[in-house]
Amino acid sequence: MSSTRPAVFSVAMLAVVGLLSSCGGGTGSAAGAKAADGKPVYGGTLTYLEHQPPTCLYLPAAGFYPNGGVLNQITDKLTWQNPETLKIEPWIATKWQVNDDATEYTFHLRDGVTFSDGSPLDAAAVAANFDVYGKGDEKLKLPPAEFVNNYERSEVVDQKTVKFFFDKPSPGFLQGTSVIGAGLVSKKTIGLPYEEQCQLKNVIGSGPFTLAKQIVDKEIDLQARKDYNWAPPSSKHQGRAYLDLIKIIVTPEDNVRVGALTSGQADYVRYVQAYDEQTVKGAGFTVKAEPTRGVNNGLYLRPGNSILKDVKVRKALQKGTNAKEVVDTLFTENYPQATSVLSHLAQGYVDLSKELVYDLDGANKLLDEAGWTRGADGTREKGGVKLQLGVFVAGPQPLSKQTLELVAQQWGKLGIKLEIRPADAGTMAVDIKDAEKTAVSHSMVGRADQDVIKSQFHSKNRDVILSTDKKLDTLLEEQSALADVGRRNAKVGEIQRYLIEQGYAIPLFEEPQVYGVAPYVQGVAFEAVARPSFYSVWLNK
Amino acid sequence: MRWLSWLVVALVVLWAVVPWLFTGYDPLNGVPAEKLQGPSAAHWFGTDAVGRDVFARVVHGSVHSLSGAFVAVGVGLVLGTLLGLLAGSAGGPADEIIMRLMDVLLSVPGLLLALTVIILLGPGTVNVAIAVGVGSVAAFARLARAEVVRVRRSDYVEAAFGSGGTFVAVLWRHVLPNSLGPVVALAALQFGVAILAISTLGFLGYGAEPPTPEWGLLISEGRNYLATSWWLTTLPGAVVVAVVLAAGRISKEIR
Repeated sequence: MSSTRPAVFSVAMLAVVGLLSSCGGGTGSAAGAKAADGKPVYGGTLTYLEHQPPTCLYLPAAGFYPNGGVLNQITDKLTWQNPETLKIEPWIATKWQVNDDATEYTFHLRDGVTFSDGSPLDAAAVAANFDVYGKGDEKLKLPPAEFVNNYERSEVVDQKTVKFFFDKPSPGFLQGTSVIGAGLVSKKTIGLPYEEQCQLKNVIGSGPFTLAKQIVDKEIDLQARKDYNWAPPSSKHQGRAYLDLIKIIVTPEDNVRVGALTSGQADYVRYVQAYDEQTVKGAGFTVKAEPTRGVNNGLYLRPGNSILKDVKVRKALQKGTNAKEVVDTLFTENYPQATSVLSHLAQGYVDLSKELVYDLDGANKLLDEAGWTRGADGTREKGGVKLQLGVFVAGPQPLSKQTLELVAQQWGKLGIKLEIRPADAGTMAVDIKDAEKTAVSHSMVGRADQDVIKSQFHSKNRDVILSTDKKLDTLLEEQSALADVGRRNAKVGEIQRYLIEQGYAIPLFEEPQVYGVAPYVQGVAFEAVARPSFYSVWLNK
Repeated sequence: MRWLSWLVVALVVLWAVVPWLFTGYDPLNGVPAEKLQGPSAAHWFGTDAVGRDVFARVVHGSVHSLSGAFVAVGVGLVLGTLLGLLAGSAGGPADEIIMRLMDVLLSVPGLLLALTVIILLGPGTVNVAIAVGVGSVAAFARLARAEVVRVRRSDYVEAAFGSGGTFVAVLWRHVLPNSLGPVVALAALQFGVAILAISTLGFLGYGAEPPTPEWGLLISEGRNYLATSWWLTTLPGAVVVAVVLAAGRISKEIR
């Protein structure tokens, strides 16, 4: 999930965006009269600056934040996860039943919901969506979604009732219907091949906004749907969105985003870097740091690598990484130091901070035991092989390069050389799937369900460690099939312990999504894992 | 002011050869607690986000930028001069073919050509240098050919052939040495251009791997901190500007 755009392009884009934003001065001022009584006002344009261009917009791939920022506005989901309580609440489904072992789910749908192409959002459409998300479609080259496990089939009971069957318990499914990737699209969209579903113009949802204009990789304009009237019942705001238009402009350069915000050319920006937080606050703007409640930002070690196949080496790297120094040096209080594989706000979290203590001597001892001795230049060697590991800078992670450089410095003290490669289009796509060339992965994933850990580590999902560990896969599968919440959380705890024991994970910090918001932007809201929702946003100016 | 450009180049060469005489700081391992400090007596160019001394990184980085520039100029000089020599002395169809190929090479923008070569060879300091060098082959070839054509017609070369010299021997002993003057001046100019091109590619992320200090990379790393820590880009940038200007000035003198 990383941008593989050559940097040249970004530079060119920067120039373009610079021009765009300078011509666009004063956008948003079209909002009606100032609301003196604090009552929301309809109308106006919100300029939102995004760090990276969206990639493929096939719904299950919407986890990538730039994709989610767009898709969250144009699609609705069956259920709504309250970001405060994490409870699942009604949305397109007004009510639902789950049988005791979580193998059958029945959803009753709301009346009168339509997609933006006019077709009805009925049981048949929902079934068509989840048949693809659950099993994929080989002919159309559509991969299954990571948030649906053990899916068997759907059944359209009547026009407003749909039933899903699972061949094994699938307790994560209810929450799965609320995630960003489970956005419902029209039957026409879901029947398109992968390459076409990737294109925004083909994604027809039922959300509060629809696509007005897109300049690929530069700008996306979303306009409010006038007849939208099916927000989650628990939402205070009902009916159409307050805003008329959202201009999403891709602005890769951190400086430009923050500069545009503080100078009034943008109203809302994603990805305020840690070192810019003070600048944004100092100018009287709001910094919103939203937790992502998932697998922490960290370094993930690949056992398929010929050096890292030794658990002692992996453990040594874990002990020899000083996460506190990383957080203190590069980040702010919005980035809490990790205490486990999962964020402390994730479900099933267990505190493993005792196992994650920085211990330089212990790390050195482990490496000595594993037979790696220091060579003339200070780098350890064994049988003529240098202890050298490769990693790619992760475009989507905040300050990935600086983090890796600091970790390289820490590992240098152990006699380990970390080779940091820039994220460029030429070699990354191939090498990142090769444990020999890319021994370490710098990544994270957010989702407010126990299944998030499976998304990151299972060999059939994201598989960041290119897993060769059958036991890990089994544990993850067992977890995703446990109907009882208590037992499921216990299993998630066991998996976290196993990942730390085996030295697969070096958690660094709990990654937030950090947004900068102008003071007149009201009604700012996020879904459970920090993707912005513009539905209730209005401009008070 | 003539001595100033020589002084700048001499200083940078010394940085590359004996960096430890100029700075006591480690360019790769900083002190995280001392991050993002402005220029001071202790840290002349300030420190970066992980607490490394920027001056130390510029000094230690000069070896990468300079050696890269030497390789780049070397590639251009050797290949270009050989092709020019061949074209100018052989004449006829060989001349036509070589020079038309050079025209094609010239018509492709330098940075685009360099990027194409980089994608073929893969990133890395040496590959960047080769890529930049390939871009300058045509310029060297044209200049060398023009000189060779002039020298080739002179009486002493005719005399050398008349007294029984073989084609290769005459080229080597008489034509090449007498047409090299302007080519060397161009090499000095190209040296500055190459530093700039290598820094550009480093800026774009195709050069040395981080945390290796390379000038272009230093500038690129600092640009996100432009609003809060100006010294990270400005000071390494000023060094690059000074060296490129100095190389240009020296080239003018040689000519």
